[in-house]
Amino acid sequence: MGDLNYVGKSIPKLDAVDKATGRVQYIQDLKRPGMLYGKILYSRYPHAKIAHIDASRAKQLPGVRVVLTGDDIPAIRMGVYKDNPPLKAGKVRSYRDEVAAVAATDPDTARKALELIQVTYEALPGVFDPETAMQPEAPLVHENHKTNILKMPWKLHYGDVAAARREAAWVVEDRFTTTWVTHCCMGTSGAIAEFDHANNLTIHTNTQIPSLAQKDFLGVLKALGLEEKRVRVVKPCIGGGFGSKLDTYAYEHIAILLAYYARKPVKIQFDRREEFIATSTRQPAIIQIAQGCDRDHRLLFRDVSMVLDNGAYTSWGATTPSVMMMPITTLYKVPNVRYEAKCVYTNNTYSQAMRGYGNPQATFAIESSMDMLAEAAGIDPVELRRINANDSGDVSTQGFRITTCGLKECLDTVTAKLATGAEKMPGEGIGIASLIHVGGGARVYKSDGCGTIIKMDDYGKANVFTGASDMGQGADTIIAQIVAEELGLRIEDIHVIHSDTDVCPWDVGAHASRTTFVAGNSALGAARQIKTRLFEMAADQLEVPVQALAARDRHIFIKDNPDKGLEIGKLMRKAHFSHGGQMLTGECFYDPENENLGRDFRGNLSMTYTFGTHGVRVKVDEETGKVDILQYIAAHDVGKAINPLLLEGQVYGGVLMGIGYALTEQVILEKGEMMNPNFRDYKILTAKDAIAIEAPVLETADKDGPYGAKGIGEPGCVPTAPAIANAVYDAIGVRIKDLPITPEKVLAAIKKKKGITTCGIDPLTEKAEIC
Amino acid sequence: MFNEIEFTCNGNLTRVKIEPHWTLLHLLREGLGFTGTKEGCGSGECGACTVIVDGLAVNACIYLAVEADGKDITTVEGLADADGTLHPLQQSFVDNGGIQCGFCTPGMLMSAKALLDDTPAPDETQIKEALAGNICRCTGYVQIFDSVKAATGESREDIRVVAWKDNDERR
Amino acid sequence: MNKFEYLVPQTLDEAVSMYDAHGDQAAYIAGGTDIVVKMKEYKISPGYIISLKHVLPRSEPQRDRETGELTLAASVTHRMIENSALIKNEYPILHDAIGNIGSVQIRNVATIGGNLVNAVPSADGVIPLIALDAGVNIYGAKGKRSLALVHFFTGPGQNVLEKGEILVDIVIPPQLPHTGSAYHKFGRRKAMELPMLGVGVLLSLEERTRRCARARVCLGVAAPTPFRALGAERFLVGKKIDDAVLQEAGTIAAEESQVRDSIRGVAWYRREMVAVLVRRMGQKCLERIKTTSEKA
Repeated sequence: MGDLNYVGKSIPKLDAVDKATGRVQYIQDLKRPGMLYGKILYSRYPHAKIAHIDASRAKQLPGVRVVLTGDDIPAIRMGVYKDNPPLKAGKVRSYRDEVAAVAATDPDTARKALELIQVTYEALPGVFDPETAMQPEAPLVHENHKTNILKMPWKLHYGDVAAARREAAWVVEDRFTTTWVTHCCMGTSGAIAEFDHANNLTIHTNTQIPSLAQKDFLGVLKALGLEEKRVRVVKPCIGGGFGSKLDTYAYEHIAILLAYYARKPVKIQFDRREEFIATSTRQPAIIQIAQGCDRDHRLLFRDVSMVLDNGAYTSWGATTPSVMMMPITTLYKVPNVRYEAKCVYTNNTYSQAMRGYGNPQATFAIESSMDMLAEAAGIDPVELRRINANDSGDVSTQGFRITTCGLKECLDTVTAKLATGAEKMPGEGIGIASLIHVGGGARVYKSDGCGTIIKMDDYGKANVFTGASDMGQGADTIIAQIVAEELGLRIEDIHVIHSDTDVCPWDVGAHASRTTFVAGNSALGAARQIKTRLFEMAADQLEVPVQALAARDRHIFIKDNPDKGLEIGKLMRKAHFSHGGQMLTGECFYDPENENLGRDFRGNLSMTYTFGTHGVRVKVDEETGKVDILQYIAAHDVGKAINPLLLEGQVYGGVLMGIGYALTEQVILEKGEMMNPNFRDYKILTAKDAIAIEAPVLETADKDGPYGAKGIGEPGCVPTAPAIANAVYDAIGVRIKDLPITPEKVLAAIKKKKGITTCGIDPLTEKAEIC
Repeated sequence: MFNEIEFTCNGNLTRVKIEPHWTLLHLLREGLGFTGTKEGCGSGECGACTVIVDGLAVNACIYLAVEADGKDITTVEGLADADGTLHPLQQSFVDNGGIQCGFCTPGMLMSAKALLDDTPAPDETQIKEALAGNICRCTGYVQIFDSVKAATGESREDIRVVAWKDNDERR
Repeated sequence: MNKFEYLVPQTLDEAVSMYDAHGDQAAYIAGGTDIVVKMKEYKISPGYIISLKHVLPRSEPQRDRETGELTLAASVTHRMIENSALIKNEYPILHDAIGNIGSVQIRNVATIGGNLVNAVPSADGVIPLIALDAGVNIYGAKGKRSLALVHFFTGPGQNVLEKGEILVDIVIPPQLPHTGSAYHKFGRRKAMELPMLGVGVLLSLEERTRRCARARVCLGVAAPTPFRALGAERFLVGKKIDDAVLQEAGTIAAEESQVRDSIRGVAWYRREMVAVLVRRMGQKCLERIKTTSEKA
């Protein structure tokens, strides 16, 4: 690759100055002329018939323009299963169910109007636990579905697990559970919908999927009888994504409906409580896992079955098993694998995508179980992993083609940095856990594509229109670096325009750690087209073959005679101002050659896979059960660090989110009601809880990645919880199999181990999770 | 029911009519157009709305606007010089990866400024204490601490990317 | 937040008469960090907010040279207490507690009087003040009255203040020689916490015998109101304090607690932690006594 000017450099995020000066506009900061304020009335029951709604008093309140209930709107169905109308009619199935909505001239009036809407409910028995919900006599969340178990196809069996289990020298089996956690984007959700005179819709909204959201919103228009109309989705700057915005939400649909009926722009802006209650969580999982190895400590099989609490409606939480399969079949070499997952309707909140997308839950079970297996087999846990580590060139049972794999190096680095052999102080322990994640896109839709258009201006500067969505992770900057590198321009010559469907090309969305890889390759393809044309123009003028040329520092020059060259701006002006002139645009739609999972779930989901190992040293206070983290190493094989500064930022942020998942965070639901919808009681970690994190990076130069890069958006939070659980076990000999690892659970486990009961109840099963 | 108050906002004397139930955040964002100050929770639990009042960091979302009377208030918009030169903290946050989604940034900067104005060379504990009321979901705080340290002229303690190349025979 | 009228009395009497004039519609405001949140959440909607900013002077914590009494004006902010060298050196239990309330932003505005009047079981400022035998001075339509802080609280969010009464200041009597005190806020995070439990211990030793002359074991969130574990205190007095004695005192205090299950913590665990933390705070008291005497 030779010398690189921008790729591999820690370039500050392009919009950082605007953010540091308060100039950037989030949805909170946007207003439209004549704009009304929409608010939503939520259910007061987790499961109830809506007997009657009287909205007459609300409609009479001065300032109120529109009041809508489920009976007032056309049939619109949201979500993966199309089981979720934006306003519920007839029945509510969870506390977050939207029952009515109001548009008024100011937020206070809208709020008062909600208080005037009288809803008469007839309570129905609810079901709040997926295992109970699977019983035949359980109340049905959706009667027309006949059962609470979703008809989802999550079942695979490669090889012969039963036979392998019989052959295994050592087998471990256990049950692990994880709970709800939520994204906690610092910028709460919001949208402004407005129609033009011809009923074309423009919606500014917090989304990670402008192109797919466009399709959902076209569906709303169609339901309103507005065929053939256009939808423009504009995403303003958003205060974090983490997967929370991968599906459209009811509030967006409601804003559109209110705007349509009011004939005015309507804004819905969530407050923090709504953000907690009415956006979706990570999918909670009940996981039964068995694995075994032979006398040489080679893994023979892995057998996993899961029950997932789907909540009352079906969004991307229900399809997390498609990604959970990845670590289950392919984290380490496993010849025989069986996996089955059931998603079950309950009257709880419904789940969605969240950083790692099922992988943190699955990896918690797998990597905890790996340590248990190592202990059973009498082998060092690092050694067990090293023996079974994936290698470059492997094809896993699921058909994943491992192009490059730095797992063993990550294991070695972490082990060395943790000084695993060193003597431990009392109460101290170390733990490691590894990860595999998609690093080269993920073909979960029919397309995994992203488009880029580059337009050169008269002064040799490039406007880059990308399908990628930046949400703070730095997609804008990575794309600019790639284009600047390829065209020999400076970073300040590149203006990246993103997140506007009228302007930017199509893309499936900011998910699956795919943006650097897919949007990066797309940008690279478009830049190469421009480069080819520039070289042709320069070759013509310099009277040399194009092969003799190179681009650097705004010039196209002759490689063997670097003093001889042409400024790109001049080339452009010549192109524009000549007779028979030309303009320079480049476009590339990059759709990776990865594969959809087939009927048996085989298929190379991603072009490449990111690997990593996390290691942690903890100290456990045996009297209080509190876990303190003393050292944290997160080593990843990233292919190539295009921007080390931003890459580290992804790892650090992911790790702390993972530590929250491991130790403190939980959405506390009591009979479907969220008890802690605020930062007081939802324990996101603070600056005082933050720890030093070492993030060594292994560069394996993936052949398909842009400049060799793999995706790194999600891995930071994937193996954190099992690494900590393993360290706790190493420290004090108790294994916590239920997240989060609270002091109560640790102390109860310590007491149980010592044979002491705690106040008559078994805290591990009863109330210990309510803490 | 309007009250008239007078205060200094980012160096400018400001006289404005307010209603007593307005928060300072409402006055700044809706009344004066200083939308750089953010509302993250509305109840003093996240720090996104942090501004400096008479040298002290406060949560503007739970501070009554009427209490601003006679005070000297600085928001994120008042940090840079008049010619646009960034405040050292702003520049440092930009250069050191202290900013991702940016929603916590204005509040984070104001808490950091209040700290440095009072304690020009804070240690790690003091930095953590000063920023403990500012929640960030993106960064894990690591690069935010780096940013504050760098702005004090202290060099960062060293947790950097340690890049190493894969050996060739494995490809 | 609903609209209200904002009143700024200049004297205590004016404040009290304003309150009297508006009855149930009136509320006092000091720092406002609690009341504004309650109003924003529509938990309360007073029509008249009476500011105490000119009524209660905001002065630094001061100790009377003659009486040795420390007076905290009700309007002193948490941050002023936290930054006071006098408090840090001589009333470390108060420093332990105040420095860990909320965030710097909250502590810059919130007042100690507000923390007390709010009377939530989790108010961190209360426990050390009870341990220090603080008294409060109250002013109202019927004039002045004083009482021990430990008797100030009547239930969760409830106190002895009658309508219109104002908490004026808090007085801490002089401490015995050879006194050590310490507070631990037990939470899930290191900041921005409401405690799952608050434990304050104060021990005074006799000069010669080194036996315990006075003991205070004060607990927050271990009952509906902050309280003193009198059994544990009686157990400690007269004894030579060592780990075993402190362990036993902790166990007694745990038995005296009326802990309950809530989303913030389960009862059995809170009870266990009372025992552990009383012992640990007792040990810290002894360390502090030792450090102080070494300095002297």
